[in-house]
Amino acid sequence: MYKILVMFMVFTVSSVSAMEKSGGHGSHNHESHNHESHNHSASESANGSDIAFPEKMFSEFISDLANVQIVIVDVNGMVCDFCARGIEKVLYTDDAVKKVRVSLELGKVLIAYVSSKKVDFEEIKNIFLSNGQNATGYIIKKI
Amino acid sequence: MGIFKHLIFAITLFMLSDLAESRPVSWAGGSTIMYRTNSMMSSYLFHYSPTYKYSIGAEYVNDKYFNNHFINLRSTYLLDRHNTKISQRNIYLTGGISTKTNQDFSYGIHGDWETRRIFSSFSVINKHTKEKNYTENEFQLGLAPYLGEYNDIHTWVMLKAKKNTINNDWEIYPFIKLFQGDYLIEVGSKNSHWDVHFIIRY
Repeated sequence: MYKILVMFMVFTVSSVSAMEKSGGHGSHNHESHNHESHNHSASESANGSDIAFPEKMFSEFISDLANVQIVIVDVNGMVCDFCARGIEKVLYTDDAVKKVRVSLELGKVLIAYVSSKKVDFEEIKNIFLSNGQNATGYIIKKI
Repeated sequence: MGIFKHLIFAITLFMLSDLAESRPVSWAGGSTIMYRTNSMMSSYLFHYSPTYKYSIGAEYVNDKYFNNHFINLRSTYLLDRHNTKISQRNIYLTGGISTKTNQDFSYGIHGDWETRRIFSSFSVINKHTKEKNYTENEFQLGLAPYLGEYNDIHTWVMLKAKKNTINNDWEIYPFIKLFQGDYLIEVGSKNSHWDVHFIIRY
């Protein structure tokens, strides 16, 4: 039994090493660099974000919104619903936040801020860090 | 915080303990209520996380093995976390002390690594009681049969192996973990003993 557990631990540790070596950079979806057009954006700026959000999801997200700016945040460590839960809770404590959508599959969070909000990526990074995750990049779209 | 203060803080928390559990630290300002029952004990726990690095809480424990009831003051400290796009790995120090007698206390280490598809964890907890000192070891391995999105019901098929140095026998049994939103439940059974763990977060 002990041998089985040791083998399990070795397997786990080696899996961790292998996946973490490739994971941080290996999961890039190469649709990322095509800067998929969303047609809604009057303007767009990006900083370190690697993947554009799929058009259909984005359209659904903004369908009931107007005069907002959408910040699409890339997140590391958002691997389960239970651990992502705090992000939404903390973001909604800000009156400037109108809507939030989490995508576990893409490792991204969409945040709809009122258009008057001055988006500060350091503030966003701190919000994600307070939930134990790392925001690594973002795109801003004004609609 | 300097490394010395960091170390003192970690050791202090390490000296306070009990069972390792799923997600022992919440987000900054988050609170958690847990109920757990198994062949050895049942307990009700409340903990609060001032930051995502540690939690403090109190637990009412019904120790079935030693026929004892007491309240544990507990704390868990996130010693290290590594996030990637597809995984998260955590190492926690955990500790607890009984309010009944300072001869009852425990401390240990708990680690986990998970992706959206695979979960693995281990814990080693040393327990000191008036009657006996012993160690509990636990390993878990889990697989998600499907990848749920945010707000879906998430299902994990898990295998748990645990041993304490009182019985000195490994128990291995499957269990199911389900969670949606702020609620999580784990249910397993071994030799007609139910192992149930229920968590609410807010």
